Amino acid sequence: MDLNYTPEDIAFRKQVRTWLEQNLPREPIRTLDERRGWHRQLYEAGYLGMGWPKEYGGGGARPMEQAIVADEMARTNAPAPTNSLGLGIVGPTIVVHGTDAQKRRYLKKILTAEELWCQLYSEPNAGSDLASLKTSAVDQGDHFLVNGQKIWTSAGSVADLGLLLARTDTTVAKHKGITCFLINMRQPGVDVRPLKQITGSSEFSEVFMTNARVEKADQIGKLGEGWAIAQTTLGYERGGRSLARVTTYASHYHKLVNAARRLKRHGRPLIEDATVRQKLGRIWAELEVERYNALRVLTQLERGEHPGAGGSLTKLSYSEFEKRFMELAEEILGPYGQLTEGAPAEYQLQIDTAVGEEGTWAYAYLWSRAGTIYAGSSEIQKNVIGERILGLPKETRADRVGAAR
Amino acid sequence: MNFAFTEDQVLLRNSVRSVLDEQCKPAHVRALMDDPRGYSDALWSEMGKLGWLGLPFPEPQGGAGLGLVELCLVQEEMGRAAYSGPYFSTVALAGLGLMLAGDHGQKEKWLSAFAAGTARGTAALLEDGLDWDPASTGTTAVKSGGGWTLSGLKRFVPWAQVADVILVPARAPEGLSLFLVDPRSPGVRLTPMVGIDLANRWSEMRLDQARVPADTLLGEPGTAAPVLESLLRRAAVCASAEMLGAARRCLDMSVDYAKVREQFGQPIGSFQAIRHRCADMLLAVENCHSAVYYAAWALGAGAEDAAVAASICKAYVSEAARQVCGDAIQVHGGIGFTWEYDLHLYFKRAKALEPLFGDAEYHRELIARHVSA
Repeated sequence: MDLNYTPEDIAFRKQVRTWLEQNLPREPIRTLDERRGWHRQLYEAGYLGMGWPKEYGGGGARPMEQAIVADEMARTNAPAPTNSLGLGIVGPTIVVHGTDAQKRRYLKKILTAEELWCQLYSEPNAGSDLASLKTSAVDQGDHFLVNGQKIWTSAGSVADLGLLLARTDTTVAKHKGITCFLINMRQPGVDVRPLKQITGSSEFSEVFMTNARVEKADQIGKLGEGWAIAQTTLGYERGGRSLARVTTYASHYHKLVNAARRLKRHGRPLIEDATVRQKLGRIWAELEVERYNALRVLTQLERGEHPGAGGSLTKLSYSEFEKRFMELAEEILGPYGQLTEGAPAEYQLQIDTAVGEEGTWAYAYLWSRAGTIYAGSSEIQKNVIGERILGLPKETRADRVGAAR
Repeated sequence: MNFAFTEDQVLLRNSVRSVLDEQCKPAHVRALMDDPRGYSDALWSEMGKLGWLGLPFPEPQGGAGLGLVELCLVQEEMGRAAYSGPYFSTVALAGLGLMLAGDHGQKEKWLSAFAAGTARGTAALLEDGLDWDPASTGTTAVKSGGGWTLSGLKRFVPWAQVADVILVPARAPEGLSLFLVDPRSPGVRLTPMVGIDLANRWSEMRLDQARVPADTLLGEPGTAAPVLESLLRRAAVCASAEMLGAARRCLDMSVDYAKVREQFGQPIGSFQAIRHRCADMLLAVENCHSAVYYAAWALGAGAEDAAVAASICKAYVSEAARQVCGDAIQVHGGIGFTWEYDLHLYFKRAKALEPLFGDAEYHRELIARHVSA
């Protein structure tokens, strides 16, 4: 056990820091074109697709180097690249499960942001119970015909392509009849409608597919393997981002401490109030524990171990923490914490929401409610932890017997 | 950067676990509850032979020269076994205290004897007001006849009844100082304080004009404050490791029980109410692991954030371990509330250690000072 960074890692961090100092956009990024430009700059510097194989445009870097880049970007509040689903989910899925032809066709264009991706998993009636999805893909000889509705599709409104889960066999148990595909979003049979969230913004869409076409060459893995593939891909992006996530939390936390110095109660600054100090102390302890956890995950990744179901612990831990953190922020900031406009500078939070809007404490507070729902709700994570890590018996479920339909 | 145990550390943990599984079964712990000394000589001398008693001490004094991470590994296993005996008080309190402040002769005398298993020690770090800030020390030390005279009242001195030497902070004219006191000296009186954890002993220690020789002073007079702060941090992290062990044992027992206990015609672990509680317990235990071993590494390596990491560790583990051990009783239902079932041994161990070396509130205030400095 040695939690010091190696001299190589320290040197690499310095190099990333210098690059960011010289290249960070001076103005906030507002348009998709500006973000694509920033994305390409990051890629050309070698800071995107770092862990992907070199022959497909990746960097072949170690997990620690990826974590350092993400961490330095968080430290400098650098804008995110675009194509987060492409980088985080679709690319890794193609790397692991794709054919050589698929890798050559798609990976490089994810990295250069020439093609933007979305993920077509959830449906109106298949949320936590994702395996009950109804969207169908019917074999037409040289292609599949897709019909159905998807929801909570991140980046759906800008995506050129999507990673799709669809049912190809209704005669077998529901987990076994799902296949994974790549689908062209720019075709007449695909209708994308932005979904407005409680934040007022639209990071997600609903997608309606009516006789949409998927090429045979765009099937990922074998028929019926879609569920297993989805299980592995849901956890891909968590490890590498874990340190950066905590660095962002820490930067928000320090802003909150500064606010607590200025705001007063009973004539005294909040920072002198024993109750407030207790709450700040508790959240900093939890935040640091998240950082220690991130170092544990990174250690695993560096050794080439996949965290597996352990990813559920990580996700449960940080997403639930984020809610508690944002609740404390709102308590300290009072009504300032709810402002989407007009907050004095010292009570503002400038964050990059990656959709061209300036983030606020209010936005961060609202957004914290999403983390314990998306990519498997906390309840689903606890089921996974209970069954796969602790080995507790599965519950008796009404859908465990019989075919999907 | 590597947040994983080395092969040697894993071997150490496995060896401690197998010895305690064999020689410190719950029946052994229970048998010692009525024993006035509260520990087994046979196991103590076995621990000496295995090198546990001198684990962090320098090799010239018979130690193994290992670090705080290794000591925490042992402490975690002791919590898991609800070990009854003066290991923590001897090695982590008296031992680390002597390592921090003792001169060559003092270390030679005591660390060697601790490591060999021929002496036991402890430290008297708390007084009437239950303030862990060393500055609150009210016990006095007055120079007299080439030695010192100590007067005051110490509370909750762990395993004092079997100690051969007790580290005692006292206020000298020069300032806060630290003395090595023989509990059998005239003017020293120990009275047992019996808590809910009967495998853990405390005494009240009354010093009434107790005379100690000049060579019992650790370091120079008036220099003890930073030593005590250092020692308290180490003690807080070692105690957290023991709480972690107790919590992990409670989690394991709960999961095992939830797999076999049937109600409504199925194992209770198949119900989400139980399964989700167990998942929450695992999350808390894993977070405790991160907090303990990060802090142990940071203190051992002299990392920049070592002091606050120790506070984070104790603040987090104090509450999390209590929660996990309490949840374990809830998962077990009625049987978990019986004396006969072993769960309460670990529940009580975690509770006993929770207020020691600063409770969660105490350490959260230290964290607040750190982040608002």
